Order: sequence, then structure tokens, then C-alpha cells
Amino acid sequence: MRITTFAAIDVGSYEVEMKIFELSSQKGMKEIDSIRRRIELGKDVYATGKVSVAKVEELCALLQDFVVIMEGYKVDAYRACATSAIREAESQLILVDYIEKQTGLKLEVLSNSEQRFLDYKCIASRENEFNKIIQKGTAIVDVGGGSVQISLFDKDSLVTTQNMRMGNLRIREKLADLQCSESHSEKLIEELINNELSSFEKLYLRDREIQNIIIVGDYISEIMEKPSVTRAEFMEIFNSISGCSPEEIAEKNEIPVESASLIMPSMVIYKRMVEEIGAETIWMPGLNLTDGLAFDYAQKKKILKFGHNFDNDIIASARNMAKRYMCSKAHIKTLEELALAIFDKTKKIHGLSARERLLLQIAVILHGCGKYVSLSNVAECSYSIIMATEIIGLSHSEREIIANVVKFNTMDFDYYDKLSSYTSINQREYLLIAKLTAILRIANALDRSHKQKFKNVKISLKEKELIILVETDEDITLEKGLLPEKAAFFEEVFSLEPVIRQKKKI
Amino acid sequence: MAEIDFYDSKYYENRELSWISFNERVLSEARDKSLPLFERLKFLSITASNLDEFFMIRVASLKDMVHAGYTKPDIAGLNAEEQLELIQERAHELVNLQYSTYNRSLLPSLKQHGMVLVSAHEELTKDQMSYVDRYFEENIYPVLTPMAMDSSRPFPLIRNKSLNIGALISKKGENSEDFATVQVPSVLPRIIQLPDGRDGKKYAILLEEVIERNIGKLFLNYDVVCAHPYRIMRNADLTIDEDEAADLLKEIQKQLKRRQWGEVIRLEADEGMEKSLLRILKKEFNIKDSDIYSINGPLDLTFLMKMYGMPGFDEYKVKPYRPQPVPAMMNEEDIFTQIRNGDILLHHPFMTFDPVVNFVKQAAKDPDVLAIKQTLYRVSGNSPIIAALAQAAENGKQVSVLVELKARFDEENNIIWAKMLEKAGCHVIYGLVGLKTHSKITLVVRREEDGIRRYVHLGTGNYNDSTAKLYTDLGLLTCSEAIGEDATAVFNMLSGYSEPKSWNKLVVAPIWLRKRFVKLIQRETKHAREGKQAHIIAKMNSLCDKEIIANLYEASAAGVSVELIVRGICCLKTGIPGVSENISVRSIVGNFLEHSRIFYFHNNGQEEIYMGSADWMPRNLDKRVEILFPVENPRLMEEVRHILDIQLADNVKAHVLAADGTYEKIDKRGKVLLNSQQYFCDEAISRAAQPEEEVNDRLFIPAEPIEMD
Repeated sequence: MRITTFAAIDVGSYEVEMKIFELSSQKGMKEIDSIRRRIELGKDVYATGKVSVAKVEELCALLQDFVVIMEGYKVDAYRACATSAIREAESQLILVDYIEKQTGLKLEVLSNSEQRFLDYKCIASRENEFNKIIQKGTAIVDVGGGSVQISLFDKDSLVTTQNMRMGNLRIREKLADLQCSESHSEKLIEELINNELSSFEKLYLRDREIQNIIIVGDYISEIMEKPSVTRAEFMEIFNSISGCSPEEIAEKNEIPVESASLIMPSMVIYKRMVEEIGAETIWMPGLNLTDGLAFDYAQKKKILKFGHNFDNDIIASARNMAKRYMCSKAHIKTLEELALAIFDKTKKIHGLSARERLLLQIAVILHGCGKYVSLSNVAECSYSIIMATEIIGLSHSEREIIANVVKFNTMDFDYYDKLSSYTSINQREYLLIAKLTAILRIANALDRSHKQKFKNVKISLKEKELIILVETDEDITLEKGLLPEKAAFFEEVFSLEPVIRQKKKI
Repeated sequence: MAEIDFYDSKYYENRELSWISFNERVLSEARDKSLPLFERLKFLSITASNLDEFFMIRVASLKDMVHAGYTKPDIAGLNAEEQLELIQERAHELVNLQYSTYNRSLLPSLKQHGMVLVSAHEELTKDQMSYVDRYFEENIYPVLTPMAMDSSRPFPLIRNKSLNIGALISKKGENSEDFATVQVPSVLPRIIQLPDGRDGKKYAILLEEVIERNIGKLFLNYDVVCAHPYRIMRNADLTIDEDEAADLLKEIQKQLKRRQWGEVIRLEADEGMEKSLLRILKKEFNIKDSDIYSINGPLDLTFLMKMYGMPGFDEYKVKPYRPQPVPAMMNEEDIFTQIRNGDILLHHPFMTFDPVVNFVKQAAKDPDVLAIKQTLYRVSGNSPIIAALAQAAENGKQVSVLVELKARFDEENNIIWAKMLEKAGCHVIYGLVGLKTHSKITLVVRREEDGIRRYVHLGTGNYNDSTAKLYTDLGLLTCSEAIGEDATAVFNMLSGYSEPKSWNKLVVAPIWLRKRFVKLIQRETKHAREGKQAHIIAKMNSLCDKEIIANLYEASAAGVSVELIVRGICCLKTGIPGVSENISVRSIVGNFLEHSRIFYFHNNGQEEIYMGSADWMPRNLDKRVEILFPVENPRLMEEVRHILDIQLADNVKAHVLAADGTYEKIDKRGKVLLNSQQYFCDEAISRAAQPEEEVNDRLFIPAEPIEMD
């Protein structure tokens, strides 16, 4: 039996964890070891923006131990990721480099959306339970040290995902200086949360019936004692611990006392979510980021086959975004077909993979969202909206690529020297932007009139020409006439000249 | 009826007095004429060394409390001063009994059996006298350091536990008497063998007698008025006994100045010592009459262990028992295959300890083994386990060893081999701050065809191949996935990582164990209240935890039948109406030291059996890392239950605790005699002779030759 041993490391905001997994197609994912130590990196970062030297050294020493343990298990591969604490540290790059030099570990700093997507992936990996739950309106509430992520599902598609910077550690630190009693601090935590939650409620929860909540986060499983509870059961248990000291709760529920200070903020967050969202069933799968990392690896290496298509989730959330900014559905649909057809036909020339195809598709979906803000400045506004909106499953750099593609769709293309002078785009990303922009421009030019004249299109390559054969009786003079303007850049990138051929039915 | 307060201190026995009772039971073995003579010498020696340790640790601790003004009562409601008073009384009785046993029974019997220990140098024959005098000049004299006290020389420092001879000397021609003292050198053998007598008997005399006879040679210008042996015990242990409350430690720290370092807490003096000499010792050591033990016989009876070891006299000793091979392991499979074939129960010393050593040895050289992790508490000097661990590290295995440095009396020894392991490339962990690691667990991680498999050994005794021949202990070899996961979590925790989110099978002190025991007891109580059958059998070394005892009382009151097998201290009282009528306590004191801990719960027919490293003592439940593990394989459960049943049926070596607090042997009239330890020896021999049926088509070769040392 082929077994891959994989180590997943999560450098979290209050805990650092490594899990060792055995991955195999026969037995799936099997956790064989879990090593955790509490290091409150977030405590420093959320207050000062920096990680103290002592904590960095502690972290390095721990990661060195992890390396030894990994060697002990003879792991085949590992992935080490850091989340909000390192992400928000001003000295992120220096830290990551220092850690790599000290420990030999390549630490990846996940963007929030990547991190949440991994969390989501591992929940979804529990196919049986997950698929059943998301048939009805479902919210995934993912509580971390720095922030809380809420993702809404409606009839098994992702509606939206939002991040609120009110993680349990951040809340605790905010209240740390206020001397108050247990019951009083419970109230204060609630007030802090309510403030953030009310805007979310107005934007997303109105008129939506959500029956299930999936909670991802620490301490909840220990306190609830079973993986799924009803709202009534949840509230009863919450009320029974309300007013107790964190140490009492920790001891009663066999939670390490070192974690005591985070229990209350976590519990109040969970409780407010359950109340606000009004769900009837609460499911706590008890998984975390390390499970997601292992699952992601197993899936990418094709060790595990999986029914759910996660790319569809990313696309769905992009579509929801387009809908919010009232983009033209029909126009997008035509453009998607065109752009993806061009992409597929030119694969040998651009050499891009399925992931880049997905980025192209999302760029198409979002290319007009800026119109919601300003009709005269669509490119800049689209760029800003995309840069400001999280799309679950995409990394920050991927989102930046999409934003640039959308921007250069209509604005003059900035070549590398210029582009790199005002962004952190690297050469690889730059080339990708150029290629995707070239394709998007052509596709967009073909539906200039927004009338979806180019419906039955066949794309083919012939010598140095990209033949766009369109079967339509409509007048395509506009498209034909305006194509050369956009085609110049395509030719520049791909050394192919786009040519439109019309075939009339009559 | 008024509600009974099961925590009322009147229901509890003081632990020190209960300990003295235990030592009395050991002494009763020395007095048992049915035992071979030299075995009786050994038991008497054990009572002496036990008593020394008791004074050094427990009495010293109580003295500290008195000095610190600490008045919190113990489990039985006594303060330190009251306890000391009761202890003195009982200790004096015990010592008297030790020496009457020695003088009236053992010495005459020895003589009868051809071993004459000459009690006083005056009784030597002429030839013997000249022999010892020459021996004195050649061997003893050069290492003696006599010291005298007079106006210019202060009273010398007398070393803790050393044997000394005190003398009154007077300058020739003068009347005044001065004090002088000389230590009986510990580098020389205490027993000096004399040439065999014409009667064919062996003769011997004790070192101090020879020195006494020649003491004049040490003080040449003086007349020796009198000379007698004496011995002191000091409160010299700087550490506070871990059993004491933390608030005591604070109290003592606060009163540091008032603590009298090196205070003498016991003085043993020869019965015939002149009053004037004793007066000097009493004054110089600043000691109360009640702390003075006047001894009718040789001081420090631990020399009897040396006598036991003397060659010859084999017919007066129990034939040494040879630990037997383990039936499930009597085939040519490797140990990992044997474990995969099913959990294996090891019952030492009836079964050999070799499998445990081999487990580590084979893991060290097995190419598929990735890692070995082990906790070591007390290890024998030349431990094959340590050598195997070092070998494993050299073979590139990841070896983590948790070394408990604070194991009493062994610290120095532990540091030496801990350093050795580190040199070999092992990862040595020194345990958790403030908690002694008492658990005994070994984990071998092996990479196999279908993934990682973990092999675990869990035991009730230390990884010490020498004591494994003397202590009765149980061990379990398993590759159960659930236990393997827990074992990994245990070592992660011991390495300073966070506790696991949950445990599968193991129960770990100090966090979870006490609660679990209470829950298990209360479950029986509940069943009894519901009119169901309820039964607890628990075997351990000591029982002195108040919460556990109170819960046992409650269980008894509810009708749970509680059968306890407690070798040593037991603060629980039996036969109290409405409180402990359903509880029986027995103590087995035999040739092997009872050491296994087994806990049986009837659980309304769904029986549960646990074994582990912890006694029902506060220190085990609250201040140590201990592991309790379930025995779940039905075949092994039956075997463990069988062990308990045999112990409960023992009517030769068992003493039963009566309602008046005394321990009595069972009336054997009309009964078939059952000595449980002997029974297990015989059983192990016959089982090893007919190995398990399922392997009967194989050629039987004992797993390993048994080492004897």
C-alpha cells in the first residue's frame, strides 16, 4: 500500500500545531500525531504590530523540534503555514526569512481567504455530513485568534464570505486592561461583537433562512461534548457556564488551564453567532487548518479523490460578487465562453494551467464590477473593488493578478518596469497578467455591443492566426471594426493575429 | 439516622502508625519459625533499614512541622506533636521486638545451625582473640580516626547514620574523665569471619566489638573507662517530603532560621552504656529521652543482609526462583509479531523480565523502527535497557528518554546515565517542573506495510531488571491503536507540548486520574443503591488519600463489596458500623515485594480492570505523572482477575486488618494452605512447560536464555 506521510504545521495566533498524517487512497487521511504548544504571537502583533524577539526565538526553537519530529516520522512532504499573527506583523518578510534560516522550514503566510478556504475544504471533505447539511441554508463560522470568518451557503452554493476582525485573542487583548468581573466582561465582549455583527446582519442575513451553523474553532467541542447540538441544547450549556470563571470552565471541561483566558471570548462569539443567525442545528466537526492543509495536499497529489468541486465554490463567490455590483449576467456568460475557448485553444502557446484558467474566468466575471461605482472610471473602480473584497480560495497575489487583468482590460497596459515600480508584482505574475489581459481584451471586444451576438463561436489556430468563426446573421461590423485595436496587444503577447470570420446561416 | 460525614477524621488511621504496622508485619516474617532461618535474618534486616528510612523522611518531616509551628492536623486529626508522641511509643516497642527476636530466636538458631556470631569480644577464645587483634592491627587500625573532646577541642561532628564507639577516657594518673569517639569504618566489612571452630561451626564477630576490644590502643596515654557503640540519625535531608502540603513548605521557608539543620532526631545507644557517657551524648546531641533508643544487641541490624549473602547455608534459604518464560512468547516469531498476535500480559517476577528488555533491544536494531520513547524512573546500575537505548540512537532511531532525576536516593546515579544517553544521541527529557514522572511506559513506533504502527509496553513497576526479580509487577504489551495514540500523546505532554484534546484509553495523573477513580467508585455506589451487584477489588502499595477513602466508605455504606489488598500504609479503617462494614483489607508480605497496582470494578456485569503506576495516595494522584491503563482483552482480563482471586484467597502470607486496627494472619485451621506468591511461581513453571495450544505445531525454544546474576 502506498502511504504518504505528510506534516502540516499551523503557526496560529495563539497556538502552534503540527499534525502528522498518513495519506493513502485506501485509508484516506489518518492523523498519527498532533503536537501543540501555546505561543501567543497574536498578543504582541495585535497590540504593537510586532512579534517580540523572545517569542520569535521560542517559535524557532519549537519549529526546530518539529523538524526533528518530522525526520523521526520520515515524512515525505510538509506544508507550514502562518495565519493572522504573522500576516499582520509589520516585519512579516523578515520574520519568514529568519525562521527559514533558523529552522530550514519554508513558512508560507496564508492570506485570510486562503486560510479560510482550507478550513472550508476540510469541512467539506467530510462529504457525507457536509453535503447533507448544506442542502439547507448553512453558515460556517470559523473563529480564529485574530478574526472570525462567516460564510453563507444556500442550496449547496456559497453565497458570501465575510471576515470580521474580532477573533478571541484580539477581543481578549482589547479588554485586557479593563478590570471587570466575569459577568461584566461577558457583557463587554458581547457589545464589541454586536457592533461588528449588526452591519453583517443588515447586509447578508436579512431575508435569508439559515438552519445550520458549522462552527470551526477551539474549545467548543470540549464544552458541548458531542459533535452536533440543537440551539436549545447549545443555549442551555452556554447558560450553565455563563458567570463561571474561565478556570472553572476549563477544569470542568478538561480544557488545559493555559487556554482558560480564551474560552469566554470564544464562547460569547459562538453564542452571538448562534443567536444572530438563528440556526437550529450546530455542527462542530472539530477540524482545523492542519487538517485542511493535509486534505489539500492529498487532493492536489491525487491521493484522495473527491466529489465536491472546490473551484465551483470560488466561482460561485465571484458570481455573487458580480451580482451584488449588478454586472450583466448575459454579457459575462458570453465572455466566459469566449475567453475560456481562446484560453483552451492557445494552451500550447501560453503554457498555463487549470488554476490560471480559473483566474481568467474570475477576471471575466468581475471585469465590470466597477460600473456600480462609476461609469467613466470603470477600470480603476473594478480594480479597487477586487482588491478590497476577499474571494474565498484565492490568495492575495492571485486576487491582485485578477484586479490588474481587469484594470488593463480597458486601460493601457503597464509594462514590467512601470508596473513593478508601483506594485510588488513579480515577473512571473506580470507575464500571467499580460497573457490573461490579452485574452480578456479579445473576448471583451467580441461582445462590445453587449448583445451576445457571438454565440456559436469556433476558435481555431491556423498558422499565425487565431480564427474566430462566428455563426450569426446579425451585424457584427462594430465588433469587427474595433477588434484590431484590441488585437494588437494579443498579437504582441501570443504572436497570433485574431481574425473574425462570419458564417451566415442563411 | 444522622447523616454520616465520611470525611470525619475519626474514621481515619494516621499514616505513620499504619506504616509502623506494616513494618511489624515484615518483622512477623522474621519471627515466623516456619520460614528458613536465613530468610528470617533478611526480613529483620529489612525492618531495620525500613525504620531508618522512616525516621529520615517521615519523622524528620514531622519534626520540621513542630519547629515551624505548623499545626494543621493530618488525615486522622492529629497534629505533628501528637503524631510524634504516638510514633515514639510504637517505634520503641518495634525496636524491642526486633531485638528480642534477634537475641532470643535468631542468634540461638544460628548457633544451632552452625553459625556462631560472638556477641561480645569478651567471649572470644584465646585463639580467636589473637586472630582479631592481628586483624585489628593490620586492617582496622590504619583507617580509624579517634577523636577526643576536652576544653580545647569541641565535640566532633558525628556523621549521620554512622556507627560509632563512644568512650570515657581519663589521663593516666588523673581522675577527670574526657569524652572520646571513633567511627566504626564503613569501608570495612561489618562481619569479621573467624577461623572455623573445632566443633565444625563457623564463627564470626562484628567489627565494632573488635574495635572495642582494642580501643586502648587508640588512646595511649589514657585509661579507657568504658566504651560503647552509638548511632545517630539526623534531620539532614534538605528536601521536604513530597507528601507534605505545599503550605508547609512555605511555612518552613518563612521560618528558615528556626529550622535546626542537622538536628539529631534519634540516638541509638548500647543498653549497657554508662549513665555518665550517655549524659554527654544526650547533652551534645541535644536530644530528648523519648528519642533515645537503648539497644540490647548490635546497632544497625542491616548487617544481617550481608550475613544472608554469606556463602553456604543454602539449605536455610529459600531456593532462588528462576523467572519463567512467557508462554505467548515461546515461539520463534519476533517480538513485534508476537504482540500483533494479541496483547501479552507479563507477571513479574514469576515471568521473566526479558521480554521488556528484548522489546527495547529488538526495537533498537529493527530496520523498520522509527522511534523509541521511554520513561525511566529507577534503573539498575548496569541496565541492559540503557545500553539498548543508546544502541538504538546510534542506529539512527529517534530515541526520547524521560529521566526522572528526583527519584529518591538515586539522583546521582540517574544523572550519570542520563548524560551517557545524551552522549549516545538520545533526546533526554527531564520531566515536567514540579511533577515527578512515575509512569512506566515504552513506545516503539514502527513503519509497516500499512502505515505507522505503535507498540506499547505499560507497567506497574520500574524499568529495572534487578528489582523485577524481587517486586511483583504487571506489564502489558500491546499494539492497540487507541493506546498507541495515547502513548504518543503522553510523550508529547512530557516533552512540554500541550495536552491532547482527549484520551482514548489511558488515564493520566495529575489532571485526570483522581477524578476518574472517584467516578469509578461512585458508579459502583450508584449500582449498589439501585440494588444491583456492586464490587470493587483494588490492589496497591499504599492507601492514604482522603477523598478516595471517603468515597470507598460511601460505597461500603451503599452496599458495595470492597476488597482491598494493600501491602503498606492503609489509612482506611475497617468494620466501622455504617461506614466500612463491607470493606476488607488484607496485606500480603512475602518473599517478593508486592508492587503491582490493579483495580477491578464490577460495573453491573460490564467488568472493568485497570492497572497502573499509581497508589491511592495524594502524591500519586496530584503530584506525579502517572498512567492508569485498562485491560480490555477478555483473555487477559480473566488472567488478571485470577491473580486477584488467588491473592484474596492467600491464607499463608496475608494479614487481615481487624476493626481494632491490628493486622492478624488468617486462621488456617481446616483450610488448604495457599501462599499466593508460591502459587504464581508454580503456575508459571507449569505454564512454561506447556506452552499455549495455538502454537503447538512449532518447535519450542525458550525466547532467550535467562540471565542470572
